[in-house]
Amino acid sequence: MRALRIGFLLGLRQVQRANLWTTFLIIFVMMLTFLNLIAVSGILVGLITGAERAVRAESLGDIIISERDDEDRILETETFLRELSSFPEIEAFSVRYDGGGTLEANYKERRDLKGERDSASVIVTGIDPLLEDQMSKLSKNIIEGSYLESDEEGFILVGSYYIKEYAIQFGDIFDTVETLHPGDTVRLTVGDTSKEFIVKGIIQSKVDEVSLNTYIPEREFRRLFDRADRNADQIVIRVKDIGSEDEVKATLLASGLGSLGKIQTFEEGKPKFITDIKNTFNILGTFIGSIGIVVASITIFIIIFINALSRRRQIGILKGIGIKRNAIEIAYVLQAAFYALIGSGLGALVTYGFLIGYFENNPIKFPFSDGILVAPVNETLIRFAVLFVITLIAGFLPAWLIVRKNTLNSILGRK
Amino acid sequence: MKQTNSIIEAKNIQRKFGSGNLITHVLKGIDVTVKTGEFVAIMGKSGAGKSTLMYQLSVLDEPSSGEIVIDGTDVIALNENQRTAFRLHTLGYVFQDYALVPDLSAEENVMLPLLMRGLSWKEAKQKARASIDAVDMKNKYRNLPSELSGGEQQRVAIARAIAGNPKILFADEPTANLDSISGATVVELITKLNKENGQTVVMVTHEREYATGCDRIIHMEDGLVTDIEQLH
Repeated sequence: MRALRIGFLLGLRQVQRANLWTTFLIIFVMMLTFLNLIAVSGILVGLITGAERAVRAESLGDIIISERDDEDRILETETFLRELSSFPEIEAFSVRYDGGGTLEANYKERRDLKGERDSASVIVTGIDPLLEDQMSKLSKNIIEGSYLESDEEGFILVGSYYIKEYAIQFGDIFDTVETLHPGDTVRLTVGDTSKEFIVKGIIQSKVDEVSLNTYIPEREFRRLFDRADRNADQIVIRVKDIGSEDEVKATLLASGLGSLGKIQTFEEGKPKFITDIKNTFNILGTFIGSIGIVVASITIFIIIFINALSRRRQIGILKGIGIKRNAIEIAYVLQAAFYALIGSGLGALVTYGFLIGYFENNPIKFPFSDGILVAPVNETLIRFAVLFVITLIAGFLPAWLIVRKNTLNSILGRK
Repeated sequence: MKQTNSIIEAKNIQRKFGSGNLITHVLKGIDVTVKTGEFVAIMGKSGAGKSTLMYQLSVLDEPSSGEIVIDGTDVIALNENQRTAFRLHTLGYVFQDYALVPDLSAEENVMLPLLMRGLSWKEAKQKARASIDAVDMKNKYRNLPSELSGGEQQRVAIARAIAGNPKILFADEPTANLDSISGATVVELITKLNKENGQTVVMVTHEREYATGCDRIIHMEDGLVTDIEQLH
């Protein structure tokens, strides 16, 4: 306790009397270290979180209903939809019919009939344009042309990844047609059945499930795919209150709808690779941040070492007049603690007071997602604790090295 | 060793530095006795070994051989921590260049060893102020060392040394860095502590004029005591 009191007095006064710019610089380094530790992994994780959010907003919604494991489709879809309409907790829902087909473009202009067709294998989704737009705001993703009207037929929306000029950045990953614009006629072939559609709009989103899709009205889908039973492949639901998905799911299950389809919240139904990538990026961010910690600890070590070395004689005199070694060591450890606390505090202030909000409003435009900064408080606290402890050690070691030297040699400046 | 009224009893103190063929014998077997309440000066030319002797007697260094008993304690047998504690509770120091902590005020400098002894902040402050008052430095409690003259800093150093009522006060050329007036004031102060309070003092000096208030002067040359001059 005595040592702590004296250590505190010595450490406090050293910080108080230290050169202001030096103190500022050390704190700045600590703040950058903290930001490096929090923000690097936060942005890496945020990149995936941004993608996850987009998938939730534009594709899968808050609750996903799919076919039961022992069925091909959602049973009694019409009944299901009527039930859903009666739940006040549900803000919007969309019913989707999925199938695969071949999209052929430019066939009318093609002169060499023996040549290769300008076609691509595509995913076709049948939707109610109004319901889908209420649920996923699909119309906002139109980059050319316009969105489908509720009662019109013969029109198709084509995902941009099926068009070469938009997908060229991805090389040959996607099966594409050469070019396509609103007003062009395309032929959609499913098995032996073909139907002509006029391209109404081109859709582009950072969610692959949207950009790599074609949308037609559900009535036409059912006719084209011969789906007379009207049973859908997927129903996606947007709840009114974010966070109430589990309750809404429980209500749906209590209504017996679980016997007609598999009901999952977004967390349960989201693709596993999202969680895997998130964890991977978190580890990667922690690794990169760890390098920052090493740099910061070396910085603190050097600062404290030089500080203690330049005060070696003073340390010797303190020992000479009877001040215990641990009191002197505590003084330096407290200085390191001060730099770590203030630097991290400022870092936290910048992170939570500015950066998170800033990236929320101005996400980083990555090719496949709008990256945000994710910094859960509990994880931040753990990282801070690690940084703090390492800084304390980095402060203690040089002090220990200097303080343990022979008292008289220190006083006389002898080696 | 027998217990006497001597507060310091040192026998056959030797101090060597270096190793092999490069050994330097700085102290070549010195016997010193200092009685309680005595004011002893150690004098000699530069390199005579006077400071080295004081470091042995003041438990800042360990002799290569010999025996030192201070206030009944065999200080050679103490480990590093025990030596530190012994210095804190038994000895006071005044160094050549004041040796104050530059970041602490005069008052805080004096408080340091008192806090280490376990006094509360308030008690330490009261005692520190009383000690600073005793060296005639009133109203300088909050001044940093850099805001004080050399003589004033040395007086604060004396205040720090005597604040805990040490049994022995060691002063290593306390006037070396001071002008003659300040030097005289500091020595006068140390002498006063000895005469009025019975403070045992061991002072190293190379200036005869500052040793006139002493009871004895130990003269040294080439690592040996050449003469002991009894003044009072």
